[in-house]
Amino acid sequence: MIEFFNVSVKSKNRLILREINLKIRKGEFVYLIGKTGAGKTTLLRLIYMDLIPTAGNVLVDKFSSSNIRKREIPYLRRKVGVIFQDFKLLPDRNVYENVAFSLRVIGKSRREVKSRVLSVLTQVGLNHKRYHKYHMLSGGEKQRVAIARALINEPFILLADEPTGNLDPEASKDILNLLEKINKSGTAVCMATHNYKLITWAPHRTLLMEDGFIKQEIDPDNLNQILEL
Amino acid sequence: MNILFTLKEGMINLKRARLSAVVSILSISLALSLIGISLLAGENLRDIFDRVYQQVEIEVFLQPGVNAGKIKQLRKKLARDTRVTKVIYISREKALEEFQKNFGEDLSTIIEENPLPASFRIILDPANASPKLIEKFVAQISQYPEVQEVLYQKEIINFLHKYFRIAAIAASLFALLLFVVITILIFNTIRLTIHSRRDIIQIMRLVGATNWFIKSPFLIEGMIQGIAGGIIASGILYLFTNLVRDIIFPRLLVPDYMNWFLLGIGIFLGWIGSYISVNRYLDY
Repeated sequence: MIEFFNVSVKSKNRLILREINLKIRKGEFVYLIGKTGAGKTTLLRLIYMDLIPTAGNVLVDKFSSSNIRKREIPYLRRKVGVIFQDFKLLPDRNVYENVAFSLRVIGKSRREVKSRVLSVLTQVGLNHKRYHKYHMLSGGEKQRVAIARALINEPFILLADEPTGNLDPEASKDILNLLEKINKSGTAVCMATHNYKLITWAPHRTLLMEDGFIKQEIDPDNLNQILEL
Repeated sequence: MNILFTLKEGMINLKRARLSAVVSILSISLALSLIGISLLAGENLRDIFDRVYQQVEIEVFLQPGVNAGKIKQLRKKLARDTRVTKVIYISREKALEEFQKNFGEDLSTIIEENPLPASFRIILDPANASPKLIEKFVAQISQYPEVQEVLYQKEIINFLHKYFRIAAIAASLFALLLFVVITILIFNTIRLTIHSRRDIIQIMRLVGATNWFIKSPFLIEGMIQGIAGGIIASGILYLFTNLVRDIIFPRLLVPDYMNWFLLGIGIFLGWIGSYISVNRYLDY
């Protein structure tokens, strides 16, 4: 479903990613761990083609980074959900409008938008707060709205870039549980995190990144290794 | 593309960033007013010179003894020439009358026979009133057998033409400079407005909106700002022209196309400014 073939990314004469070979299968849950600057965010950006590799090829569903046209990228992004540490929501709109926005901008009808937004808000447990404004929500709730927005197009993979970075442990656990639920329903999840403790709560395939390459793949049954890092 | 959504988003954008929209509209209207004033100055300068050129006469003196039929033919020939706007025939008697009127002397008391030749006074179309074209015209009509001599105020025309050219070049350079400065000013204002909303652009990109869908609300917003700027500039110019007419220059000429021109330039600058600015955020 997602494959990296000898992928390197260079910026200002510095290699940010070095010869990455990686495969993420359908419905898989993968953690990306590593220090700041290890290349986790860059790797995620390559998947939603916010960045094109300087060498190698990234294959995402039927799209290939080596021959994708600029105008095809939006269609790829409709199949890939992305969430961030800082939520990236529209602060002047309520929960419903924030989630609906992603369907409106791809030209869906008002009726279709309504039914899908309500369904996805129920899925993330925020239907009762759909008219709440951004500033009335807690950090965890904001991240749920972002997840709802990412899920609204029924992506085959959800990319999460430090989704718990701004949240307290309780809210972090809630978000992780939600991501687990989403994964169980068939959506693959690829999550970059610093929070190694989270991984012990919900163990999955874990890739340790360092200096732009995948240093080690950690066995989920051997999680003590992670806590030692 | 959902046009209603695009329009709605364009209006929401405007409402959301009211202050920057107002600043943007004001800078566009001020800029357009300056363009309008320089245009007015150029048009009026041209009009003044046209009027001066219209006063320049070419006197075509006829050979003595040319009969009435030949004079009529020559007059027709001159009147048909597209370079000529007016042909006035001055008979020998009329020339004598004018001489007496101008100099207060009765020539018939000094000389028995009227010595003045019949002539044509020709006024050229200002478009053909450059020194070279006049010279060409004069050389051409001097060839006619009925013509004895052609006189015109060569030095005055050369002088006028030289200074008109200098004034026209200076005005064009000023207008061009103004246009460049204004375009940069408008682009920067719009760029700042769009920069303050880069988050929404980023979100739209993330959720898979096409580039045109992302751009459209900004383009509409830019065009609305351009229209508003154009209307305000037209109002400013209306007041300005009335003031100038009342106080300094009652003959001030205001071209008919002025308001439409300002509106058009406003829409164009608003649109292209938004287009270029929003494109900076749409690499991939």
